[in-house]
Amino acid sequence: MRLLLKCVVVCCTLYGTAVQGQTNVTDTSGKMEDVVIIGYGKATKKEFTGANSSLKGQSLEKLNIPRMDQALQGQIPGVVVSTNSGSPGGTSSIRIRGLSTFGDNDPLILVDGVVYDSEGLNALNPNDIASINVLKDATAGIYGVRAANGVIIVETKKGQLKSAPRWEISGFQGLQQTAKKLDLLNAREYAVLKNEMFAAGGEDMPFKNTSLGEGTNWQDSIFKLAPVYQYNVSVSGGNDKTTYSLGGSVYDQQGIVGLQKANFNRLNGRANFDTRLSDKWKYSSVFLYTNEKRSALPENGIGSVLYNTINAFPTDPIKGSNGKYTYLEEVADIINPFAQMENTHNWAWVNKFVGKQELTAEINDNLTFTNRFNYNYALVDNKAFSPLVWFGPGKAQNTALNANLDPTMVEIAPDVKIERGASVSEGRATYGDLNFESFLNHQKEFAGGNKLKTTAGISVFQRRGNYLGGTAYNIPNNSLDFADISANLAAGGYLNNVYSWEFKERLLSAFVRSEYNVKNRYFLSGILRRDGSSKFGPNARWGWFPTLSGAWMISDEDFYNIPWMSTAKLRMSYGVSGNDQIENFAYRGLLNGEGDYIFNDIIVKGVAIGRASNPDLKWESTSQFNVGADMSIGRHITTTANYFVKRTKDLLFQPEVSGVLGTAGPGSYPPIINAGDVSNSGVELDIQYQGAMKKRWNVAMGLNFAYLKNVVLSTPKGVDFIPGAGFGVGGSVASRFQKDYPIGFFMGYETDGVFQSQAEIDNSPVKQAGAKPGDFKFKDINGDGVINFSDDSDKKMLGSPLPKFTAGYNLSLSHKGWDISMQLYAAVGQKIVRNYERQQPYANQLSYTINRWTGPNSTNEHPRATTSLTRNTVFSDYYVEDGSFMRLRNLQVGYTLKGQRLEKLKMTGLRVYLSANNVYTLTKYMGYDPDLGSVGGALGAGIDNGFYPQARTVMLGFSIRF
Amino acid sequence: MKKTIITTLLGGMLLLPQFGCEKFLDVDPAYTQDADNFFNTPVDYERALTGAYDLMQGSFMSVWIGEIASDNTIAGGESVTDTKGLHEIDDMSHVAVNQELRNVFRWNYAGITRVNFIMENKNKIDFQGKDKILAQASFLRAFYYFELVKFFGDVPLVVDKRLGADQVTTLDRTPKAEVYKQIESDLTYAISKLDWTAAEKGRITKGASTALLGKVYLYQDKFDEAATTFQTLIDQNLYTLIPNYNQLFTVANEGHKETVFDVEYTGAEGGSYGCLICLEGNAGPGFQGIRQYNGPVYGDGNSYNLPTKNLYDAFASGDLRRDATILDIDAFIAKQAKPADIKYAKGAGGHTGYYNNKYIKRQTEIGLPDNDLTSPVNYKVIRYADVLLMAAEAYARKASPDENKAKTYLNLVRKRVNLSDVTSSGQTLVSDIWNERRLELACEGHRFFDLVRTKQAASSITGFVAGKHELFPIPQVEIDLAGGNWKQNPNY
Repeated sequence: MRLLLKCVVVCCTLYGTAVQGQTNVTDTSGKMEDVVIIGYGKATKKEFTGANSSLKGQSLEKLNIPRMDQALQGQIPGVVVSTNSGSPGGTSSIRIRGLSTFGDNDPLILVDGVVYDSEGLNALNPNDIASINVLKDATAGIYGVRAANGVIIVETKKGQLKSAPRWEISGFQGLQQTAKKLDLLNAREYAVLKNEMFAAGGEDMPFKNTSLGEGTNWQDSIFKLAPVYQYNVSVSGGNDKTTYSLGGSVYDQQGIVGLQKANFNRLNGRANFDTRLSDKWKYSSVFLYTNEKRSALPENGIGSVLYNTINAFPTDPIKGSNGKYTYLEEVADIINPFAQMENTHNWAWVNKFVGKQELTAEINDNLTFTNRFNYNYALVDNKAFSPLVWFGPGKAQNTALNANLDPTMVEIAPDVKIERGASVSEGRATYGDLNFESFLNHQKEFAGGNKLKTTAGISVFQRRGNYLGGTAYNIPNNSLDFADISANLAAGGYLNNVYSWEFKERLLSAFVRSEYNVKNRYFLSGILRRDGSSKFGPNARWGWFPTLSGAWMISDEDFYNIPWMSTAKLRMSYGVSGNDQIENFAYRGLLNGEGDYIFNDIIVKGVAIGRASNPDLKWESTSQFNVGADMSIGRHITTTANYFVKRTKDLLFQPEVSGVLGTAGPGSYPPIINAGDVSNSGVELDIQYQGAMKKRWNVAMGLNFAYLKNVVLSTPKGVDFIPGAGFGVGGSVASRFQKDYPIGFFMGYETDGVFQSQAEIDNSPVKQAGAKPGDFKFKDINGDGVINFSDDSDKKMLGSPLPKFTAGYNLSLSHKGWDISMQLYAAVGQKIVRNYERQQPYANQLSYTINRWTGPNSTNEHPRATTSLTRNTVFSDYYVEDGSFMRLRNLQVGYTLKGQRLEKLKMTGLRVYLSANNVYTLTKYMGYDPDLGSVGGALGAGIDNGFYPQARTVMLGFSIRF
Repeated sequence: MKKTIITTLLGGMLLLPQFGCEKFLDVDPAYTQDADNFFNTPVDYERALTGAYDLMQGSFMSVWIGEIASDNTIAGGESVTDTKGLHEIDDMSHVAVNQELRNVFRWNYAGITRVNFIMENKNKIDFQGKDKILAQASFLRAFYYFELVKFFGDVPLVVDKRLGADQVTTLDRTPKAEVYKQIESDLTYAISKLDWTAAEKGRITKGASTALLGKVYLYQDKFDEAATTFQTLIDQNLYTLIPNYNQLFTVANEGHKETVFDVEYTGAEGGSYGCLICLEGNAGPGFQGIRQYNGPVYGDGNSYNLPTKNLYDAFASGDLRRDATILDIDAFIAKQAKPADIKYAKGAGGHTGYYNNKYIKRQTEIGLPDNDLTSPVNYKVIRYADVLLMAAEAYARKASPDENKAKTYLNLVRKRVNLSDVTSSGQTLVSDIWNERRLELACEGHRFFDLVRTKQAASSITGFVAGKHELFPIPQVEIDLAGGNWKQNPNY
């Protein structure tokens, strides 16, 4: 702490004593006079030399999407938001201008200057947001080593000086349902297909009678109509010195799978307060409180409730005649999803306190000095109760020994056995960020109207985290009622366990920015930031991050004479920023591997190297060039266009390394290294129309469009590619990071129809070992006359998980008291891997298997059904689908009451509306939801493991102002 | 003025690291040990050694492959895509893309790296008993390299140091003979330092080291050295054949006099499929258990590694080892009190009606959930019967054979299971010894390597191509990750 103070004092002394803070911005749009927050300062849209996009809080509020991340989707060109999970409380991936790294691609998110991680974004209530500004180009470099993935600056609502209290109460009540069900086989189709498969494999047919009718539709039973609601109340106002804004909200969403078992509940409180202490001093305070409670079911992958639902046998009922859940025997890892839900007890609670205390001195008209202290403190509690359960013979998820729910016996010493019953795990993680920032804003006007604005300051950041948790066994009565660690009856405490971890990271920064404005026509800006980060070793801890940018307001020139284009501005920027988002202490080789062995029948804890060390580890650096234009056409249209090239080098990788390095042992991992280059380039276009039509119709429209090209320029020396996500259970690698291809592209075999006969196989010029009639015919990519399953020579690129084009369209119409609005979002050109099908003889299948190959010329599209070993399940284009989609995300009709009747009620406005989210999706994708994020990093994108889909929601809501 | 301000600012930023701010960024991980300041006390060496033992617990994979690749068992399991690599090996259609072979490659190198981590630091401090630690570590390295050589032939030899990521690309595959030389030297060192027995159960002994050295000689057809080595061990009279063959593999009888070298497991820690090498239990018995079984004696399992009829029929009718080795499930159920109530499922990955009765999940030997993965049953890598049969083979095949000794050792093994003495000689005797090895050691992970070593594989294994299948392919991804310069094994 003393050191920290010392640094602060040194740096502050260096910059002298000085001046002006920030003003509150509540309205941002495309107009040149509008003010945008640009990091440690503000600028008018006209002055700003970077590429940004801003959004007003109202447009988020209006969408009625209670998740901040999803509310951003389709709103800003170049910002792609895709959903990692549609479950209540699930998260999204936010990508600004593509994927530039193998690792963490999340942008830096600042809420009133406080760092917010993207997973925590759920904690924000969109109704508290006044504005969002996204810095997309190198001008984000004012945030240095953390800016490479772009910066999202969120400002919460503030009050206004000299205004009476304004109250607003709003809310909605809604119902959700699944937007889609998969087309699966019914019992009869299933039995016929399975008989054929087993017969073809030379085994007994499992179903003697196939007249089984429809059987059980597991999906119909698992998907429920689920309620969702949100209520907000806020008040703001101010006198001539002080402003305030207070808000509170409650939000509750149940899951379309699991209802209360997959529930998200959030309470938000917000208090913003600004006051002028004296002529010179201003004080500003922000306080945000969030309380979340989430219950969750296993989702997204093998073992998830939906995975079990999809693969459950339609021939088995949900419950047997004895009233008990059926076992779905024959397959060890598919369990009855209803029994699974009933026995899942899993909660997480978050208590989050975020705030800022800021003191600003206005030293004179030209100089302000701001000191602020930001904090983000979060308590994350978790609890899971695991009762003794029997899902059926041989099920991997069984915790009991048998159907009588007898506990397992554990031998703790030779011939000493104790029972191991129900267990409960509880834990608490505590995170605390502290950030002190101190900066000067200086402006000077020269003769002739030229202006120089300078910002200089320092930032000291520290994050700590620690966790303490434990598991205790033998919870009395196998009952949730006693699910507390202290209630355990584990004999001698032998089975109980405790866990803990802790970390600390620090960032020390200094920055300066100068903006020179010549005649209000030419704007030049330079940024220089120096960062030191504890994430890296002493060899590479400090870095410089420079940015240069400029703009030219052509339409203010005397010679400018284009009457239909009222304003025109050209911009250009170039700069370098960094990405330090890796685990702490990654440069060190820690002895945190697992090295246990059994001596004298007791587990002895040894040591082993965890992740291998790399003392030269440093941040990734991204250099970005942007050229853009802002134009107003006529009175109603404003447009922004950008072209950018973004190049990231020294990528932070944890690539698979050669097994010879020994990193495949338990608890051991490859080192993190800097290697590889990635390029993202693209075009963004944003067109806004605002105007009035005849007969008092008002129209506002926004269309945005982005094209992105992502390509890997190089991989680490000696490494041809880095393998990514797997396909199937224990199967082959589907995605890669490889030179000349997009990050995470799919690589596999290309099918060329189905072999129709033995003669065709025998006469084929290409030899495919093991092929039988009805098997896929693969293409001989390297032309050597043999399909090689031993190496990669016959594999080719099968598509990329990244959309080529994304587009958003907003329309709102109003007429008298009525308003209608809609939002469309489209993503085109991405592929999705169908990886939720269990390649297992008894698992249920999608109905396309009805059209399987059954004999010569039956089909050239789908292979035969068999239980014997074939190459039909190797990763090929057969499992890759077009993931393009267009979605009507929101459709809304509202009516606003005004006039005398309201005045009698002392109201200034009352609006009621009917709104629907996720209304309709146009797509060819067979799975639940093509809006698929990434589970498991950049190389896991576009792999559908049985994704929890986003719900379709219908809401009835109101807002009242008085 | 402006200039002064800018100069001051830039100067300040440049000097930031010098104002004591560097210290502010020196954050040490709390309460955590670092790889580079370890080995300060004898306990540190002990603990690193325990970490090096850990990888032996991955032996179940070698055992599966050693049987499934042979004529003894089929892969089995839920379906042919369930651990597909094993099915391909079963079919002799395996290629260089094979997760199970890759596991063997990587796990053994992880063990070697942990040994090399100790060796790299072996001179850091001196203390009494250090040589015993280094001797055990040497044994472990020899064991891991021997596994690699058996599977892959020439493999890169890394000794006494850890490699950096960029050094791997300069490595080539070291000729098998050189790797064997290192194995022999490590084992010779272990023999010279260790005692014949160890106080602690699970520790490597001089006996284990000697037996493994003999086996290593045998795999190189160095029959004279093998015979001498085995003789040294036999002369110690440390081990005997236990009377009851049925009791060889039970937890209750663990550590019996026939155990020369086993891998220790426990059921006291739970596990999951996510990381099989992280388990403290033996994955073999659960995986080899009876699918969806609900009857007495046995537990339910995954029906892997199922004995073939060929193996069942290879036993003479009076050979009690047949039923000790192979469970005829239908016959077993028929003998129970209420056979109709006992159910089990046939896996679509193959069904022979037989289960591996040596390593199988029994109700009295169940670990914590998921108990398919946490069997406490130890794996017997070398037991005394194996030593006797190896000695017999060495005596029968060495340049000047000693057939009497060979027959003595062979007949000791036969006598235990009440079989008559073998009286043959010459090549017939050698064949009799080989056949005895198959029957005595069936389902213990040796068969495929014995067939290859004795050049019987092509005639015994369907689909086996001579000149190709003696070695498994080096996993393609490992070739790629090492820079793509290694030559693949022939004909893959």
